[in-house]
Amino acid sequence: MDEQQLPDLLLTGVTGGAGGRYNKVSLDGVCKVNGNVSARMFQGNGVITVLGDAVTEELQANGKIKINGSLQAERIGGDGLVTVNRDLRGESCRLNGKLNVKGNCDLEELNGEGVFEIKGLLSAGHVNFTLHGQAKAGGIGVESLVIRSLDGGIWNKLASSIISKLKAQLITTIIEGDVLDLECTSAEVVRGGVVRIGPGCSIGRVEYLTELTVHPDAAVGRVEKNGE
Amino acid sequence: MEEELISKKELLELTGISYGQLYRWKRKQLIPEEWFIRKSVFTGQETFFPKERILGRIHNIINLKDGFSLDELADKLTDTALVNGLAFTADQIIERNIVSRVCLERFGDIMDKTKTYDFGQVVQLFTLDRLLSGGELNLDEADQLFHTLAEQTPRFGAKGWELFFIRKMGVSFFLLSAAPAEILFDKGARLVVRISLTDIMEQLNGKLNRP
Repeated sequence: MDEQQLPDLLLTGVTGGAGGRYNKVSLDGVCKVNGNVSARMFQGNGVITVLGDAVTEELQANGKIKINGSLQAERIGGDGLVTVNRDLRGESCRLNGKLNVKGNCDLEELNGEGVFEIKGLLSAGHVNFTLHGQAKAGGIGVESLVIRSLDGGIWNKLASSIISKLKAQLITTIIEGDVLDLECTSAEVVRGGVVRIGPGCSIGRVEYLTELTVHPDAAVGRVEKNGE
Repeated sequence: MEEELISKKELLELTGISYGQLYRWKRKQLIPEEWFIRKSVFTGQETFFPKERILGRIHNIINLKDGFSLDELADKLTDTALVNGLAFTADQIIERNIVSRVCLERFGDIMDKTKTYDFGQVVQLFTLDRLLSGGELNLDEADQLFHTLAEQTPRFGAKGWELFFIRKMGVSFFLLSAAPAEILFDKGARLVVRISLTDIMEQLNGKLNRP
């Protein structure tokens, strides 16, 4: 892509713009991009909607961003709510808030705090996530996965006992990976090499290859050791 | 023909790769998305793969991955130019267990030690051998197929083709089409074999790359 020849798309206020190929897209306010967009750098502050697919090297989003198609990005920095209506594909994603993907999510790195909701498969190299509420995934396949829950104060505990969505918890059907370190996770099947089941977990079946530790506060149905 | 499936767990045990590697290769598109087949079993959902294709592919990845980055590999696995220029003698073919001796005796020129087979011919012989040893066709049909392949496949050039072997009321015939093709049959027709050039290449690649 010849960077010099591509125009920038700079919008401020309650506006909309056309899709297309850009060098830099910077949107502030309530903005809508009509169509597919590809950009070297995509910045969005406010309420941003893209009515199509987005392809970018870097995505920086503050506020609420919604991609109606699929999103492909090398680096994603999201503060707030990131919604992708189809697949998300990228290298690294640093998140503060909520990630909502209706399709599959393929990432090398997923770090951050908040919650995620992925309808399809979350396939990642390394996931390091601190949960602030109820997170969901259709399935998880990773090299390493670390799930922590926020150690909230008394008010948080009180609120989460009334509203179940506020309770830090990861709900999924299957987790497969080489190194799994879980807390507050409820899954049907967990399969991995080195597995640590921490407090608050409720797992139907655990299959492990080399190492398994189970916290006393975890509920595990069946345990199988593979490779023997 | 129902393809034999292998579960993810069996696959990992058989090949010795880890979950992380498998998912990484999937992300890099070294393993096509459509090979991941979700099925319900009594313990819940499980993922299955078409056995022969995935084993061939993983074998190739493991053999090639030291020399190339994963991205290069993704191109390489679908690239046929790599092997197109090669030629083999009858001895080499048998030694590498590409085509059985029986098949080569019938369709090749096994007595002539100097005769070389170009890659296209190896593909034809390999296809025949596979179908014969799988019991899908008899020798007469194999003769027919051999001539069809020899005559028609060069027309496809570098493009992939797909072979359909159909039987209806005891009559058998072959159909070659440019891949990917969607072909519908009437009720009485039975599709005995459907095999594409990419499948064959995949398996051949595995045999050729073996040290």
